[in-house]
Amino acid sequence: MTDPVRRRLMQLGVFSLAGSSLAGLPRGQSASESCSPVIPRNHAPSNGGPCPYPIPWLDKNGNHNQSPMPNVELSNIYHFQGKLARCNGFHGMGTDNRGNRLAWGTATTDYSYMAGEYWAGRRSRQSIFAHT
Amino acid sequence: MTLFKGPAVPANQIHDFHPPISAEGLYWVTPVPSTGLTLSENGKTATLQMSNVSVIDQPKWPAMDAKTAPAMMDFKLVLKATDEPVTYEDPARQYRFDGFKASAQLEATFRVPSIDFIFKTDPLETSTSDFAVMGFEANGKYYGSVKS
Repeated sequence: MTDPVRRRLMQLGVFSLAGSSLAGLPRGQSASESCSPVIPRNHAPSNGGPCPYPIPWLDKNGNHNQSPMPNVELSNIYHFQGKLARCNGFHGMGTDNRGNRLAWGTATTDYSYMAGEYWAGRRSRQSIFAHT
Repeated sequence: MTLFKGPAVPANQIHDFHPPISAEGLYWVTPVPSTGLTLSENGKTATLQMSNVSVIDQPKWPAMDAKTAPAMMDFKLVLKATDEPVTYEDPARQYRFDGFKASAQLEATFRVPSIDFIFKTDPLETSTSDFAVMGFEANGKYYGSVKS
């Protein structure tokens, strides 16, 4: 840890917090990484965010994603209905700006679109998303 | 998309371009403008085309400490449905997909300004893919609205 960084953390009281009220938290969780929901300002309602969220059970690798194949969930978005396409296993070649020929793609290089309705923030919404 | 210098094996990986994982946990998902997706009249061909998509280059992905650099992506993805229907459904996990097997081809350009790097794939027609489907999906709260 560099001195300026250490000094800054001392100013923020991170070290003293780690020794007291945060002592029981798992390692890696810090005061600066709060996942607390946003407190509404000006009496605004609290209905959740407008963004879609991932398939809750699709967490085999801890990343809410799986490569497409027959008989698996193909959407990345939960509470979704609409047009969907998914594909993977892309391979090809290309050229960089220095003239190097490079291979691209792997068995898990996958793309998709999800176009339709999803549910978030306690109501339905229309949009198009892509997994790239 | 992963780039390799030499044979396409992990040891030769030199770039990996993708959207960041969102705060909600969505994995490499990005919004598409309404003009970005075009379906043919019969619905059998879909073209997903976007320009200047903000992504990251993460050459050491999937290492947890893999550093990132801002990058931009242009791409065109063309899917063509076959006449072979498929249905994937799992009532326990509340999803159903009805569609058709398809073919898919992709061309793309990536730019990493910080290192003056640009990569352009060969034309669309030269790419290949192993698996593609297109159709209609319902999951979660919408699962019950589709008929098994």
